[in-house]
This record gives sequence, C-alpha cells and structure tokens, in this order.
Amino acid sequence: MVFLIQQTMLYAVPLMIVALAGVCAERSGVINLALEGIMIFGAFMGVIFIRMFQGMGFVQEQGQIIMLISMLLTGICGVAFSMLLAFSAINLRADQTIGGTALNMLAPAVVLFFIYMIAQQSTLGMASGGAAGWFMIRPSTFGLPKDYSWGPVLDLFLNKVYPSTYVCLIIFIQVSIFLYKTRTGLRLRSCGENPQAADSLGINVFKMRYLGVGLSGFLAGIGGFTYSMTTANCTSTGEVAGYGFLALAVMIFGNWTPLNIALGSLLFGLFKCIAAIYASLDINGDGVYLLAEIGISPYVYRMLPYVITLIVLAFTSKSSRVPKAEGIPYDKGQR
Amino acid sequence: MPRIEPESGKIKWYKSDGAKSVYASLISILIGLAVGTLVIIIVGLLKSNISPKGIWDGVRLVFLGVFSTGRTDGQLTFGFNPVNMGNMLFRATPLIMTGLSVAVAFKTGLFNIGAAGQYLMGTMGTLSVGLWLGWSSCPSWLAWICAFLTGIVLGALWGAIPGLFKAFLNINEVITCIMTNWIAANLVTWWFDVHEEFKNAAEGGKVGYIIPLKNVDVVTPKLGMDILFPDSQANGGFWIACLIAVLMWVIMTKTTFGFELRACGLNRHAAKYAGINDKRNIVLSMVIAGALASAGGCLYFLSGNTEFYWSTYMSLPADGFNGIPVALLASNHPIGVIFAGMFMSTLNIAGLQLKYLTAYNEYIANIIIATIVYLSAFAMFFKMLLNTKRKKAKEVQIAVTTEEAKPEIESAETDEAAAEAEDAVDDEEEGGQQ
Amino acid sequence: MSEYVIEMNHIRKEFPGIVANDDITLQLKKGEIHALLGENGAGKSTLMSVLFGLYQPEAGEIKKDGKVVEIRDPNDATALGIGMVHQHFKLVDVFTVLDNIILGAETTDKLGFLKKKEAREKVIALSERYGLKVDVDAKVEDITVGMQQRVEILKMLYRDNDILIFDEPTAVLTPQEINELMEIMRGFAREGKSILFITHKLNEIMAVSDRVTVLRKGKYIGTVNTQNTNKQELSNMMVGRPVQLEIHKKDAVPGETVLDVRNLTVPSKIHKNDAVRGVSFQVHKGEILCIAGIDGNGQTELIHGLTGLEKASAGKITLCGEDISNASIRKRSRAGMAHIPEDRHKHGLVLGYTLEQNLVLQKYKEPRFQNHGFIRFGEVRKYAEKLIEEYDVRSGQGPITIARSMSGGNQQKAIIARELDRDEPLVVAVQPTRGLDVGAIEHIHAQLVAERDEGKAILLVSLELDEVLGLSDRILVIYEGELVGELDPKHTTPEELGLYMSGAKRQGKEEKQNA
Repeated sequence: MVFLIQQTMLYAVPLMIVALAGVCAERSGVINLALEGIMIFGAFMGVIFIRMFQGMGFVQEQGQIIMLISMLLTGICGVAFSMLLAFSAINLRADQTIGGTALNMLAPAVVLFFIYMIAQQSTLGMASGGAAGWFMIRPSTFGLPKDYSWGPVLDLFLNKVYPSTYVCLIIFIQVSIFLYKTRTGLRLRSCGENPQAADSLGINVFKMRYLGVGLSGFLAGIGGFTYSMTTANCTSTGEVAGYGFLALAVMIFGNWTPLNIALGSLLFGLFKCIAAIYASLDINGDGVYLLAEIGISPYVYRMLPYVITLIVLAFTSKSSRVPKAEGIPYDKGQR
Repeated sequence: MPRIEPESGKIKWYKSDGAKSVYASLISILIGLAVGTLVIIIVGLLKSNISPKGIWDGVRLVFLGVFSTGRTDGQLTFGFNPVNMGNMLFRATPLIMTGLSVAVAFKTGLFNIGAAGQYLMGTMGTLSVGLWLGWSSCPSWLAWICAFLTGIVLGALWGAIPGLFKAFLNINEVITCIMTNWIAANLVTWWFDVHEEFKNAAEGGKVGYIIPLKNVDVVTPKLGMDILFPDSQANGGFWIACLIAVLMWVIMTKTTFGFELRACGLNRHAAKYAGINDKRNIVLSMVIAGALASAGGCLYFLSGNTEFYWSTYMSLPADGFNGIPVALLASNHPIGVIFAGMFMSTLNIAGLQLKYLTAYNEYIANIIIATIVYLSAFAMFFKMLLNTKRKKAKEVQIAVTTEEAKPEIESAETDEAAAEAEDAVDDEEEGGQQ
Repeated sequence: MSEYVIEMNHIRKEFPGIVANDDITLQLKKGEIHALLGENGAGKSTLMSVLFGLYQPEAGEIKKDGKVVEIRDPNDATALGIGMVHQHFKLVDVFTVLDNIILGAETTDKLGFLKKKEAREKVIALSERYGLKVDVDAKVEDITVGMQQRVEILKMLYRDNDILIFDEPTAVLTPQEINELMEIMRGFAREGKSILFITHKLNEIMAVSDRVTVLRKGKYIGTVNTQNTNKQELSNMMVGRPVQLEIHKKDAVPGETVLDVRNLTVPSKIHKNDAVRGVSFQVHKGEILCIAGIDGNGQTELIHGLTGLEKASAGKITLCGEDISNASIRKRSRAGMAHIPEDRHKHGLVLGYTLEQNLVLQKYKEPRFQNHGFIRFGEVRKYAEKLIEEYDVRSGQGPITIARSMSGGNQQKAIIARELDRDEPLVVAVQPTRGLDVGAIEHIHAQLVAERDEGKAILLVSLELDEVLGLSDRILVIYEGELVGELDPKHTTPEELGLYMSGAKRQGKEEKQNA
C-alpha cells in the first residue's frame, strides 16, 4: 500500500507541476501546448547539470544538494526555452498552437542531436550511479541500516522518497497562492480573461503574459527533470512519453484550478501507476493480485485519462473555467 | 474633402496574395536552413573531432543531401543518385498525405493536430486487413484495395471524433485531437499486443514489429518507379498521393462542396446565415482530414517492406506532425503540398546522409523542420500585416475618414487557423458557453 | 490659475492611413458637464482615449490646472484624477465586483498579498454616498447591465478621480436609467467634479450638459453653451449641412399579409426566461414595419427565430402562405425571405472571400451557378458584375476584390445588393445603416423605400429613433421579449416611444388592434 501510494506520487507529481505550468500560461492568456517540449528540454538539461556536478567531483552523499541546485537551474532553462513561445505569441502575435507545436518538435530534435553528439547513442544518463542511489531519501541517508523502518506512516513520507516530490509540492502551493492571493496574481489572471480591461487599468498586459509564460516554462522544466529523475532513472531520451499532453488533460480536467488539478493528477497518476505495475500489484498485501486477475489490459488504464478528459470536456463545456481571452493575441489597437 | 477614386485594375501577380504566401514560405525555408547550417558550424567548431572540412561537408549535405553519391577518396561526391531520389519520393508520400490532411483542415478553419493518431488508425487497419486477406486466398489486388479502404475508413472515423466535438459542443479541436492521438496510440498497441498472429515472430527477434506486407504480397505496384529509381524504395504510392492531392484541389476550388467548406472555415457564422450547414461541414472536413492522414499510413505500409513497431503507446509517429510544416509551407494549397512534402523529404534524406557520411546525425533535419514550423507561425502574421497595411492605405483613398475611423485590425476574419480565435470570441458572445 | 481644469490643445492623433484627430482643442471647466458631440468616426472616442492615456498623440499638449502634463498610460491619467467609463465595459466577467473595482489599484501588504477588507469598506461607503447600488461580492457576469455600469463608475470614484469621462454611457440603458445617470452626473458636477460626456444623442446633450464641443471627421468644429443653442444647430454642426431629420416618402399602401407570426417564443441563451415571449404580428405587402426597442430586449432573438438561426420553442410562422416554423435557414430563405443581418462582418460576409463569391453566397447551389456540383465561374462573374453596376458597389478590383479590403459602406451595399436582388417578397433588415456615414445611410433608406413602393414587405429592426420614426409606416415596440405597443410614426413622439421602450407604458389588447 505504501508502495502504491509512493509510486502514484511519482507519477502524479510531474503531472501536477506541469499542469500548473499550463495554467500559469493560459490564465495570462497564452495557450502553451509546448509543455511536452519544455519537459523534454528540462529533462535533458537536468541530466546535463547532474553530469556536470558529478564531473566536478561531487559524491553520492551530496546527491540531494546537487539535485536541488540542478532543479533550480533546469527551471531557469525552462524559462529560457519558453521565451521562444512568449516572443512569438506575445510580441509577434503569431498563432499560439502552431508555435507550441513547433517547440514540441524542436525540443526532441535539439536534445537528440546533442545526445548523439555527446554520447553516440540515443540516451544520456548520469555520469555514474543511478537516480535512486544518489537522490532518494532512505534510511542510509540518515546513517541508519538499509532495511530500517520508521513504521508505515513515516515510511510513507521518508522511506525511499525523492526530495523532488516535496520540493514540487511546495512550489505548487506557492504558485497557487501567488495566483489567487497576490496583487500580481490577480493582474495576471485579468490578462487572460479581459486584457482590454486590464490595459485600461494601467496593467501591462505584455509583461503579465511574459510572466505567465516564463512561470510556465520554469514549472514545466522542473517537471521534466523530476520526471526523468524519478521515473526514468535520470536519463534523457528525447521524449517524455506524452506527459506534457497528459498534463494538458489534467489541466482541463481540473478546470484550470489548482486544487482540482492536484486531485486530477493523483487520479491520472494512479492510472499510469496501475498500468505500469498492475501485474505485480498486491494491494493489501494478502497475496491476491486482483488487478492482474481482472485481466484488463494495461493499455486501457493508459487510455483512461484521455477518455475521461474527453468525457469531462463533453459534459462540462458550459461551466468550464477556460480563460476567456486565451489564445487571442493582445492588440492594443483594438478597443 | 474631395473623393479620391480607388485604384482599379488588377494587382500584378507578384504582388498578389498567392505570391506573398510563397515569399513567406521561402523566407521560412531559408531561415530554417540557415539555422541548421549555424548549428553545424557551431557544433563543428566546438567538437574536437570535426575538422573545418568536416564542417564544410556537413553544410553541403544540408543543402544537397539528396544529390549525394557518397564518398570517393574521402571526398563527398554529388550527382543524380537514384536511390536517394527514389527514397525521397518514397518518404514524401506519407508527408504529402498528412500535409493534405492538415491543409484541408486548415482551409476549413480547423487545426488537425490529430493527424498522428489518424495515421496510426490507418496503419492498424491496413496491416491487419492486409495480412488477413494476404493469408487467405484473396487475390492480391483486392486485398490491397480492402486494406487501403479499411485504413481510410478507420482514419475517417477517428477524425470524426474531434469534428463532432467541435461542431456540436464547440470544443476546440486541438485539445480533442491531442486526446484522440494518445487514445489511438494505446488502442493500436493494445490491438497488436492481443493479436499475436501479426507479430513478426518468424524473423528472429522481431516480435516487436508487425510482419511486413511484402511477406503476403499485398504491395503497391511500382508503376514505373523501379525503372526511374532502381534499388530505391519508391513505388506507385507517390503517384497515388499526387493524384489524391489533385483531387483535393479540384474539390476545394471547383466544387460547391469546397466552396461551402472554405466559407465555413473563413466565417462560420456568415456561412450559417447563408444557409450552409456549418456543423455538417465541420464534421465532414475532419472526416476527410482523418481519411487523408490515415491514407499516409496506409500507403507507407502498403509499400511492403516497411515494418511497424507496434508498441507505440509512448510516442506518436513523426510523419503525423511533419504534415504541419508541409501544409504551412504550401499555404494550405493542395498542389503546393506535393512540393512541400517533397522538400521536407529532401531534408530527411539530407539528414540521413549526414548520419552516414559525417560525424553529425540526422536530427539536424528535425531541427531545421522545427525552425520552419516556428517561423511559419509568424509568416501568417506577416501576411496579415501586409494585407492590413494595404487595406488601410485604400481606406484613406476610399473612405475619406467618413466611416469607421476605428484603428482596429479586423482580426475577426483572419486566416484559417486564426478562425479559432473567432470561435473563442463568439463563444464569449454567445453567453459564455465555454 | 487657469479657469480650465483640463485643456487639450491642438491634439493630433494618427493611425495607419487615417487622421483620427486633426488639430483639436478642447477645454473643460471645473464642475461642468461638457458634452462631446459627433457622428460615428468623428474622433470623439479617440480624443478621450488620448486623454485617458490609452493612445499617445502625434502632436499637441495636455494641461491640467494650467500645467502641462504627460499622460503615457492609464496609470498617469488616474494619478491626475482622470477616469473613464468606456462604451464597452472593461470588466472581467469572472471576477467579483470588488475585484474588478480594485484591479490595478489594489492595496497590498509588504509581500504583495491582497488586503481586501479596507477596500470593501471603501467601496461600500462610496456606493452609499452616491447612490450607486451594487452587490460587492457578485460576479460581474451575473449582474445586470445597469449594475455593471455602476461598477465602472465606482472604479473611477475608488481612485478619487474627479475628471470623469463617459463614453456613450446611455446606449445600453433604458430611459429611466438614463435619467438616473444624468442625476448622478449632476450630483458629481455639484461636488466640483468635471465631466466629459461623449454622445451622438442630441436629447441628452440638451438635457444635461453645460457646454458642447462638436467634432466632425476628425476636426474641431466649435464649442457652444448648451442654453444658447438648439438641436437643429447642433445637428448642423455635427454633419456639416442641414440634416433632414425626416425622410421624404409617399404614404404606404399596404396590401395582403406576407408574413404572419403567431405566438413566437424563443428561449434565451443567457438566462432562464425566454427572450421572445409569445409575440404575434403581421407584415403586409408594401409597408415598412419597424420593431423598435432598446438593444437587448429580444429583437436579436426574434430575428434569429424568424430566420432560423435559432430554434423557436413555440409559435407559428407563415410566409406567403407557407408554414416555415420548423424549416431550415435555407428553406425559409427560399420561401421568400431576404435578410440584411445585424452584424455584417459576423453574419453578412465572408471577409476572406471575394466580392463575387460573397454575392453568390446564397445562390451558389442554383442550377444557374453550378453543374453537378462544379461551380460555373463564368455565370458567377456575370451575375456579380450586374449587381455591382446596379447597386453601385465600389471596390478596388471589382468582383475579385477581397471583401475585407472594402470599406464598411460598400460592404453593406454588397450585402444589400445580394439580398434585394433576390427579389423576395419579404425583406428583413436589421440595423441596416449602423456605423455608416450620412451619405450611405440616405442611399440605403432610399433603396428600402423603393422596395416598399414596389410592393415588398419590409421588416425593419432599428435602434436609432430617427430611423424608426422617419422610415417606418408602422412601429411595434418590443420590451423584455413582448410587443408592448403599436404606434403610428406620424402620430407619436420620441418621448412616447421611449416610454414604451422602457416598459413604462404598454397598450392593452384592444388598443393594439385599434392603432
């Protein structure tokens, strides 16, 4: 059970943070389809930074520190990459879905190009060791023996957990508070609903949208790194298995609201988790592999999030909270 | 104030709207190639094992890759390489189809980002029916036709889903297409996972691939391609794709059906007022787009010697998305799609040449293509800007500031993909439905 | 110390290809209500946008209390005490009234967190002081138009603005609400606030303003004291020549019934009540029947239900004897209905198509223009050229001109050409002259009267009282989805019309039959 929850969190956390990334951009008025691309780029840069630190002589004990610094740097790289979208969408008022798609094509191309140039193969991993060894929090981190247990509750939070989970959760909460409780957050959201109104009140719509897209890039970059670290053993492969798109689904399913997005990502993360490990999943430890026996193909579980999102879209189109002005470039000349 | 008469007479062809589109596309291509060249040069300078000659080789291959005839004495040689040319046409075939799919959808105001999923559905249908009928006593040509049709029908149905969502629920097709893409990826994987008979267990260790259709002789005839381009993979599929492109052009420009579709794409509301059934047309448009995209997959695998890696649930076929730059470069003109598709294929071949002949790899081509897509997003904007400037100048002459001296850019009725924006605005006006 | 609180001297504002403000000087006294009068496109809104910092002028200066100031954006304007209520409200629908008022002027603590309690108290105090009733926690999308306007006013008061600009504030109000607004403005003026009031409605200017500045086609014409002038003089200044406030036409000779509408009910998309409630009327051959009313009382839905754009939930529509109650748009059109739609860019034209393509937009399926699904381009061209000639539609390259590049007047002429040439017994014209210049308006009025004289039945929907009174033979007033009165334009006055339009007066059943 503990295992199930922890595994679900691993899948859910990147989803959550990337879905929030989508929200930041869309609430400021810019559709960001490039979440997948930014994640790919973030995953790659994250691995690059880790390798760099490893090359500089850091050792396994300092794993968490270099992980945290790399997360920050990756976030900044995400911001940089998203500026391509920002410039195109905001300054040039170009089509945002095409721009986002372009970045989704650019990221794997650039990443794979450099992976091959660096490593002459199709994946790039850490310079030495694996993600679990370097970054996971375990009894050994505290100097305790390997199979020590703090009991089921604490084990859930501390045993075999990646610190990135907590970092992401904290960032998630902070950004959500920022969007809804601060002045800049209010202004940002107004730009996604009615930029003419915001402009007439002296709010700089361009600046707010750049902020929205930049924040989006930061979060998606971190999400990409977290994904590669926790589910792909800190390896960059030039793709993130559609996570960026799944995050869009979470965003819609969560109706552009942070709390619902968190719940939605738990749900979708659960599906992904089940799909990956259902055959060996013994839920209550009683030796019964229930899900394996039901015999539903893992691909059904993988399809479910998308099917559910379509159903949600179909039935809630009227009460959807999609930001009214999203996707429409802001043109000062139009009053 | 004196009334100035508007300029009459025709606009010169090189100033026309069509010409402007071509200029915009050419500029995108040039910049894309420039970016690729830049990457080659910079990486070459940074990497110790690439000499200046290596850089020069790389640059030449980017532009002339399809004409490369390999190396002699360490030097790159160029000339007519039938294998490269033939392969270029072979690889252009699915690109033309997905390009047509996106182009037709764009012309009717829809962004078919779901071509990848439709392509997969077509693949599933064609391979399954092709193999089934191939194993039976059905004559090859009939099996081919059935396989092809099954693929198209599946693609059409798959395209209908986002079409229905858009027409009846007013839900943006981009998001529903993304969902259907991934549902298709999982569906197709599931289908082949369950059907052991299709997996290529015979050829030692290729269980991850589906049996190629040449094994059951359900193959597109060469139709002269083997004479023109011996030893290449080219086959009649290219001619079929061209034929379909011409067909689409005729339908879109010369028929009342095409007239209706384009009217819906340019202004759904006016079309509705004129009595055109906009909902039906949106669905039909996506159905056609789905059929076209899936036909790309059908033709690719009906060539016979291609193998489908069936575990596709984690990634979508690149040809599905590469149809987007093809359509954009062609400004959504069906005949232009043929050439744009060939151009994109040329880039891919260049990429492969880079991989085989130099220390670089084929992803340069993808970088160039992605750059072109990125630039195409503003190409439409620049065209719009050029149009608006011309219109404003005319207004000074005609209107004499009597009417609407409002300085707005009439973005309510701009180009194809921006019609989405109009939907968003209108949904707002229709009482905040979304 | 200047007597003027605001001076805009020799302002010039250009947009690509257009000079919107050409050397305009405007002076506002403290505590006065100053009207800014002009037709559409005269440059009034542009000038006020310059004052509010939304646009930067190419030339000219602005002075406040005698000192030159620079207004680079709305923040500067607000800092100087200038506020603006726009014609199209600038409100965020999903935010609450309170959030909308504080947006851009929020009070926060050191970390940037919003402090709403004080703001709420200030808003409630202002609301009570000036009699502006609002529900502070309601979402803007849920409140009435009148309340939305009050929110816009409170936005200005919250920022301690005392130079208040109102841009066509009465377009969306009933006559009663207009009176209330004028009282509120007088109240502001008494307190020493100065008001700039953009309008093209002469009645309001005469009723509430102290002085009037008139603009025409971007140029400054003059400023007069309201009590020293009258409507005719103002109107002359506005259009540059004596305007016939009446349209000359022969008396109507109505014939048989062409359109018969019984109990038409159309649901509303926005709220739960029906938009059109059991409306019945008839239109006869050779008459112009006008449906008059304030925008938003069901006219749009009535026309949509009539033409088939929206589905009616009840009622029977008979056109030339044929029941079209459940017919498709195309069938109704072919049964004898021509339609000049309300929004020419949204419903009338496909701007991306050429002029000739737009002219055959409804006819392309006729055997004349197509052969087994293939378009007959030669026929289309011939037809387009005929219409262009007959209806004087001007464009850059004739039939192959892209509609987007044509001027508004010619676009409307194209639509009218297309519809009138169909020679249908019923012509439904919805605001056919909206946004056009006087010349084009006269032309279109003449065409409609000519059609009427040829025996067509014309159903006109108009928001302009002058057009309603001048053009129609019979007037039906719609209020909240019901027909509340039938009036004879020759025997009624704008004031009486206004009373019906605001629901203050309604005719009983017998009165309607006798009118």
